[in-house]
Amino acid sequence: MNDKGAVLTAEDGVKDALIGWLKETLKNGVFDAILIPVETPGGDSFAYLLLQDPAILDSASPLPPVMPVQGGKALGRLTMRGRLNRQIAAVVRPCEARAAIELCKLEQANLENVCLITIDCPGVLPLSEYLDDPETSAVRHAGASSAWDRSPMRPTCQICDHFSIRQAPGSDLHIGTLGCEEGTAIMVAGSAKGERVLERTNPPTLEKEEESYSLNGLLEEWAAQVEEMERAQTKTRQRAHADLREAISGTDRLLDLFKDCINCHNCQRVCPVCYCRQCYFESDALKLPPENYLARANRKGALRFSPDTLLFHIGRASHMATSCVSCGACEDACPMDIPIAQVFSLLADRAQETLGYVAGMSLEDPLPLVTFEMDELHDVEQPYVKIYAKQEVQDA
Amino acid sequence: MEDQAFAPTIVGFLCNWCTYAAADSAGVSRFKMPPSVMVVRVMCTGRVDPLFVLTAFLRGADGVLISGCWPGQCHYQTGNLQARRRTVLLKSIFNALELEMEERFRLSWVSSSEAPRFVQVVKGFDRQIKDLGPCPIQDELFL
Amino acid sequence: MPEGASSSAFTSEGLKINRGAVDTVRELLRTLLESGKVKAVLALGRTGGDEGGVGYSLFRNPAAFEANGAALPLLPFMPANAGALLSRLTLEGPLPEPVAAVVRPCELRASIELAKLSQGYLDNILFISSTCGGVYPLDAGIDGNLEEMLPRYWQAMKQGTLDDKVRPTCRACNNFVPEGADITVALLGEADLDEECTLYVQTERGADFASCLEGATTEVKQENKVLERSMVQRDAFREELFATVEVGLEGLIRTFGRCIGCHGCKTVCPICHCRLCHFDSQDCERPAGFYEGELARKGGLRVPPDTVYFQLGRMAHMAISCVGCGMCTDVCPTDIPLSTIFSKVGASAQAAFDYHPGKDVDEEIPLRTFEEEEFAQVAT
Repeated sequence: MNDKGAVLTAEDGVKDALIGWLKETLKNGVFDAILIPVETPGGDSFAYLLLQDPAILDSASPLPPVMPVQGGKALGRLTMRGRLNRQIAAVVRPCEARAAIELCKLEQANLENVCLITIDCPGVLPLSEYLDDPETSAVRHAGASSAWDRSPMRPTCQICDHFSIRQAPGSDLHIGTLGCEEGTAIMVAGSAKGERVLERTNPPTLEKEEESYSLNGLLEEWAAQVEEMERAQTKTRQRAHADLREAISGTDRLLDLFKDCINCHNCQRVCPVCYCRQCYFESDALKLPPENYLARANRKGALRFSPDTLLFHIGRASHMATSCVSCGACEDACPMDIPIAQVFSLLADRAQETLGYVAGMSLEDPLPLVTFEMDELHDVEQPYVKIYAKQEVQDA
Repeated sequence: MEDQAFAPTIVGFLCNWCTYAAADSAGVSRFKMPPSVMVVRVMCTGRVDPLFVLTAFLRGADGVLISGCWPGQCHYQTGNLQARRRTVLLKSIFNALELEMEERFRLSWVSSSEAPRFVQVVKGFDRQIKDLGPCPIQDELFL
Repeated sequence: MPEGASSSAFTSEGLKINRGAVDTVRELLRTLLESGKVKAVLALGRTGGDEGGVGYSLFRNPAAFEANGAALPLLPFMPANAGALLSRLTLEGPLPEPVAAVVRPCELRASIELAKLSQGYLDNILFISSTCGGVYPLDAGIDGNLEEMLPRYWQAMKQGTLDDKVRPTCRACNNFVPEGADITVALLGEADLDEECTLYVQTERGADFASCLEGATTEVKQENKVLERSMVQRDAFREELFATVEVGLEGLIRTFGRCIGCHGCKTVCPICHCRLCHFDSQDCERPAGFYEGELARKGGLRVPPDTVYFQLGRMAHMAISCVGCGMCTDVCPTDIPLSTIFSKVGASAQAAFDYHPGKDVDEEIPLRTFEEEEFAQVAT
């Protein structure tokens, strides 16, 4: 993060200010199109729309109360076969930006010509809860958001410590709202691309009658608040993960976790970083002759069918945990209320920590499993000395 | 502001051996026809996947025409009979959802020697689509 | 005769057993396994933990069917369509030895339909089905809540009605009398099903397998008033339910506005069997310039795109074989009433060809066959 930024006057709220600013960018040709959530025709959800007509922005919602589609996945679908020819801005949450960056590294998205604009995120409501009563839920979410009260949000959001730009340095522009005076928000550039956009749009700086606010002052205040909240959230996250780890420790409790799993694979389908056209766990590799299933049933007395539930979940974790951004889309999609996002974010944190990697931070960080050093991770090896030293002494 | 005259876009899947030949013949004979049909030549109407029809409508076609050999005259024996069944299937789906698409989607038989008939089919369909107006699907953002 | 309530189930021989229905089925399965007449049984069972967790299992151990065993046949729950499971089981080849499967009529129909689509073999499967009173939605099975529903379920069954908490798809189902089962357990409308039970045997194999149970033969009633009454009720509800489908282009857009394109419906659908679905394949991946063209034309474009295309396309692919099992609605993360919509569209497509999916393995799927002279009015 650098100190290139600007202040957004937001007398009617940050949302209106941002929408107004975005309209200006369209009119002035800074962006050719905007990718942003918009209310669905039935008024019952939100969907990402790529739009170039500024009038549509009137029904746009930068941080809706739910996240039915992960923004990173949306960007991936748009650019998986090549970059966009025109300049677009994608207004997304930090976890969605991080997923987009991971997808880019996985060669499933192309972020050239995409300006990632992120916003400080207080979280979203569980999707099923929202769908039961969209109107009341929206009000509840709005209230909780402005107070930065995460208690009604999804469990994944409650323990999120990656909700701002310090932890999403891959975004090009970031809207900071935490700790800002009512009526203001700050815009910070996270990259050269973002700086250029700021220069071209020249948002106004705030001047009040009695006091004058300095941009640097506001930035410092905001950064301090973010850092404080991050520390608190990290503690919460670590505690939650420790509790969860205990709750699912041992085979019995792990199996219990998946007792209701119906193998629908919704979790895999909505996950932004699970991009395989045909998932390994749905491929011919796991389709076997009946004799195989009968033999397995014979050995144990019974075989849960369709089989390989645990294999699917642990296998999927082994495939994507290093890229998991803890967005929680999987848990929203599970029809059986399995706390799958919480489990996967635990596994992801551990996997990434072990490999010294954090998913989605920067396009420059190589993916941990496609790179390696000669001299690393020795603690998982058996030391040379222990195996061969004895032999060498004998041979000598 | 409305367009002065609505110029329909009709995607026409014409079978190579019969209708396409008729269309070609009509062109050579300089029969006048409205320019609304965008021709996609297929070797047989049996090649037309219902998804082609759906794709055409979702991408902005106002009407879709499938035209080929008369039953019994298919160059590949029975391709047109399959096309007929697929047409029935698609129309039953449109019907169930009351999408008012049935009239925008036509199957016709025009043999290679029936150039004037091809002209009639096109003129008639063009008029029908003009009456129906642009297909509203093409303006939807949430597709 | 009302459609679906085929009289064939009740012109066949019936075995009356002096034991409650659930116990009878358990006893039958236990005996079949112990005697070696079947090598395994596919039925619902506990997936572990005392608090709920119900899934299908392939049972080998007869002890699973004892009084408090792990198996729960006839439980009103469908965590997966058993037809899809049997297809998975026999995809690479027919069962080498007999296996019994306790299935609902829609699961049986899915099985038969999948066999027609070359997605499995029916050989060596002993189908045990029942006159069906529906199942509860998937979320009723979370955390053992299903147990609480059982008393009201069986109460309604005895009266020949359906509990109103049973899924709407089930309450609108007019194919609740199985056809093609080897053994059909009479459940709907059987006031004494706690004490006695009648098994209708429809095939020789069924007769052979049922003979290991002690029971008396019984006269078969030609008509069944309860089933007829249920059919009338269901037809009425079906009409009501279909009327809730939002029709027209506006209705279509509103309904699928909240679809997130997860394709979960396709994954759980027993009929959708393609290894790589067209809508997941490269055929549906476009370069960005393609979308920019759409954008320029319309001013806005939903991302990910092709949501309505997927829904209509899936209808074009499978509505003709839809057996109305309701798995799609159960699994949808945004609560779209897919089964209602697909059943309605399916009914329309099937009526156009007078086709009955899953009824008869020899009834050809309409798009795989054709006549020289038919549907003359379609072509102009």
